[in-house]
Amino acid sequence: MDVKPHDEHIQRLYARWLNAATKTGFAASLCAFLLYVSGALPPYVPLERLPELWGLPVGRFLEQTGAPTGWSWVAMMDHGDYLSLAAVALFGLITPVCYTRIVAPLWRHGERLQAALAIAQIAVLAAAVSGLFAGG
Amino acid sequence: MAVLVLALAASGPAAAADGAAVPWWIWPIALFVASFIIGIVAVLAGVGGGVLFVPIVGSFFPFHLDFVRGVGLLFALSGTLAAGPMLLRTGMANLRLVMPLALAGSIASLAGAVVGLSVATDLLQIALGVTVIAIAFMLWAMKVADFGLVESDALGELLRLRGEFEDPAAGMRIDWRTRRTAAGLAAFAAIGFFGGVFGLGAGFANVPALNLLMAAPMKVAVGSSGLIISIINSSAAWVYIHRGALLPMLAVPSILGVMLGSRIGARLLRVTPAAVVRRLVIAVMLLAGARALLRGLGIWT
Repeated sequence: MDVKPHDEHIQRLYARWLNAATKTGFAASLCAFLLYVSGALPPYVPLERLPELWGLPVGRFLEQTGAPTGWSWVAMMDHGDYLSLAAVALFGLITPVCYTRIVAPLWRHGERLQAALAIAQIAVLAAAVSGLFAGG
Repeated sequence: MAVLVLALAASGPAAAADGAAVPWWIWPIALFVASFIIGIVAVLAGVGGGVLFVPIVGSFFPFHLDFVRGVGLLFALSGTLAAGPMLLRTGMANLRLVMPLALAGSIASLAGAVVGLSVATDLLQIALGVTVIAIAFMLWAMKVADFGLVESDALGELLRLRGEFEDPAAGMRIDWRTRRTAAGLAAFAAIGFFGGVFGLGAGFANVPALNLLMAAPMKVAVGSSGLIISIINSSAAWVYIHRGALLPMLAVPSILGVMLGSRIGARLLRVTPAAVVRRLVIAVMLLAGARALLRGLGIWT
């Protein structure tokens, strides 16, 4: 079977970065959530109000709480709930980071087509992160 | 899982009607437990888990479906991300196979997310349900789902879609190639589009596309499907974040639960016989298909 040695090397490199990034995301989410539920970092929406709000459609939830959309939440990370949201958002950045890491090795090993696929995937993910497709 | 669902069924609907009747902290704990169990099953079935998470949490927890769908997407994303390293190291997921299919799927899923806002969802739900159930029965009727070493087509040869992995359950090293690459890319574009419309990872469709259409071994199909979901959902997750449809109180316990559960699922995948994995895939597809069909017909909304 014609499986080149660098295939396994690049696959393992991707796996290593994926592993480190998901563990970081897990730890960040856990820490931010503990700060949130313990009240150490006061939430924007009080915890005791949540049961009356989480059954509402998102539009009415936003109306009643004045919660932000788009990128506005970044300025509110001094609140426990939005620090937790930032930690959760890290998961949406893991794949573009891992893809970016393998572009150079792919190119170096002469895998131009695979490198082009990786760059195209990063461009698609970057467009999504920017909010281009969300009206955000 | 059955015990948890029955327990929630006994208390959930009443509590759902009056969200304040139960202390708020009960729900994140229940979400964590449910997510942990779904995480194990999802990896073994090669799905992101959104198709299990959304109907279960949407039915038995007091949260609005808008938030459940947002969390369902993050749930599928974080579970597949957590299982990814193990699947890649063992060769159950193959990056070379995943990259072109995930690119086709993620471009189409963004288009699907935009188009989904203006299409009659009920009709699409019915079509999705019928299609998924039909594929599940097709898989069920097939005697052998592993095709052995097939001849690559020209595009597959160009992309070098091939690999090898050690299957401890079968006690042998398996070489594989794929076929019908152009049809596979078209299938993943279609799956990505549907996934974008419904806000699901659509892993239940990835596995048959990889296994039946492209002839990837079942375990490679299941493992690679998980990695494809992690890539496609990375873009879709941002749509929900930008729209304010992610509540951290729901998202974090679900993510932590599924990440722990899916790591256990990824370990179990190596030693679970392919026939068991196949049966699990069929069961999940029947469940997901029935759910979509009933939703489209307005019977189980």
